[in-house]
Amino acid sequence: MKTQTGTIALPAGRWPSFARWKKRGVQTMIFVAPFVLYGIFLLCYGVNPVDLYVSMVKSAFGDLYGFGEVLLKATPFVLTGLAAALPAKAGLVNVGGEGQLAIGALFATWFAVFYLNAMPAWLGIPLMLIAGALGGALWAGLVAVLKVKGRLNETITSVLLNYVATFTVGFFVHGMLKDPDSFNWPFSPEISSSLRLPIVDGTRLHIGFVVALVLAALVWFVLAKTRLGFRIRVLGSNRLAAERAGFNINKMYFWVLISAGMLAGIAGMIEIAGIEGRLRASTGANFGYLGFLAAMMAWNHPLRLIVTAFLLGMISVAGNTLEIGSGLPSSSVNILMALVLFFILGGRRWSR
Amino acid sequence: MILADILTGAIRSGTSVMLASQGELVSERAGVINLGTEGSMLGGALGGFAVTVWTGNPWLGALAGGLCGLLIASIHAFLVLSCGANQLATGLTIMFFGMGVTAFFGRGFVSEQIVGFNPVALPFLSDIPFLGPVLFNHDPLTYLSILLVPLLWFVIFRTRIGIMLRTAGEREEVLFASGINPKLVRYLAVLAGGFLAGIGGAQLSIAYTHAWVENMTAGRGVVAVALVIFASWKPARAMLGAYLFGAAQALQLTVQQQGYAISPFFLFMVPYLLTLLALLIVERRKSSRTPEALGKVFAGEGSG
Repeated sequence: MKTQTGTIALPAGRWPSFARWKKRGVQTMIFVAPFVLYGIFLLCYGVNPVDLYVSMVKSAFGDLYGFGEVLLKATPFVLTGLAAALPAKAGLVNVGGEGQLAIGALFATWFAVFYLNAMPAWLGIPLMLIAGALGGALWAGLVAVLKVKGRLNETITSVLLNYVATFTVGFFVHGMLKDPDSFNWPFSPEISSSLRLPIVDGTRLHIGFVVALVLAALVWFVLAKTRLGFRIRVLGSNRLAAERAGFNINKMYFWVLISAGMLAGIAGMIEIAGIEGRLRASTGANFGYLGFLAAMMAWNHPLRLIVTAFLLGMISVAGNTLEIGSGLPSSSVNILMALVLFFILGGRRWSR
Repeated sequence: MILADILTGAIRSGTSVMLASQGELVSERAGVINLGTEGSMLGGALGGFAVTVWTGNPWLGALAGGLCGLLIASIHAFLVLSCGANQLATGLTIMFFGMGVTAFFGRGFVSEQIVGFNPVALPFLSDIPFLGPVLFNHDPLTYLSILLVPLLWFVIFRTRIGIMLRTAGEREEVLFASGINPKLVRYLAVLAGGFLAGIGGAQLSIAYTHAWVENMTAGRGVVAVALVIFASWKPARAMLGAYLFGAAQALQLTVQQQGYAISPFFLFMVPYLLTLLALLIVERRKSSRTPEALGKVFAGEGSG
């Protein structure tokens, strides 16, 4: 109370600027601290963190190829992030991006292998994209039905269904979708080269990145500029108000979740058509969870999400650098990722 | 005796989930949902296994497992209770953290072998036909976990500590008014929950599989969280749910041994689908009473 009245009495301009600097300082600290902590961790394992961070930055920004790799990694995070951010705006917690991506990839591969192989790219690729979206929508539809009809909390059901999705993909790549020429390895046949996404010269970056950006912009536009988006935001911030205003809440929940599933499913299709070329049981593992966390870091803002997904993409690429450059397993980069997230989650109160 | 096999297996493979769900129950009673239970279990599984390898003593291993679980849960407690972070997102991050840390430190333990805990047949009791082998031929941690359930019920519903715990989850103002810091109660509840989840993880690695495998909990921590909801925050029902999950896993092993031509992947799904089904049935009967503070988390506080 005392400090509040004090601020008013002070000359204008002086304290607010100090407060702003303090806020900046705290924000910087939150960003730097996990890297310092992780550096100490690396030192314990005899790795020079400064060298490592320099080589991380170099491998991400040093040449076109490295930069392409970061964008490539960020692409699925943007899409699965949208699959979390859009429902979050309606007050839903969708952690099912993981499973929705997997089933999207399954559908996309299934259609690509059995129906679309002989088609020209201009027709085959869009159809494959639709198949992916359909798969993701179907999987999210389960969560949506359980939410709307069964009144089950979507957080728990979506996480549980992630495991079921992984086993479903496992079933198909060990069975009906197994490549007959694979010498019994569990993966699908390769999709036809006409269905592969066009690639930027000198990198592995494919056009899927543009798709992700366009979809992020679209979700932003719908949420920020349309009547529907306004309704979604009202529902998310005040359910009671939405009820009083006569919104059909269940219908909104249902379609928001379906749309989220479509976004994650498209991420699955892009992984297949853009990078892997065939479905494996491990396709897109953890991308859903990382997308969720990217959305969290971006306050569920579709455009800021692009930045946070880029950051996570950079750290993912760094995992490879770490493995090659220092002999540490690439899984140790998950520790860095978790540290970054801990500081962002915990520091929110002080950075505002 | 396929039925006896399945029931024995239900207890044997359900115990880790049961311990974790009892821990999660304590935490949720105080109003904190901890999806990081998965991370605590993983930490417990690796910590318990490592200490058992080093000392050869599984009891020390179980204790270490519990402490690792507690340590990981303490991150959740700090971020959620002291920093006001979103519970669900923090829990997920902790799940990740657990995966990363255990994958990193567990590399050297993948091929290690231990004696660990083994089933001990209780004299006389294990001679009872049918029930004997099902109920009284288990590892020591399993016996302790069964004793834990009535104990936990008693503490939660019949003691002052239990009232404090439940009040922290329902009406923290009341607790505050009576001079107790609700934050402290919540801290202790989350730490206790992490400890139990850690022991659950340790049971998995030192008593059930006798091995460390990367990411070996495979979602058991998440199932534990789901089971607490299924159980309407009641210890005995959480135990029932965990054994149901265990039974589904035992069924999967039995079916494979019997050589039925069912894809193993369908069998892997069964426990998770069963958990979903169980949740659905409970919700239909509308008998669940969510602790009020938890309801706020589920309503999406801070998610928009």
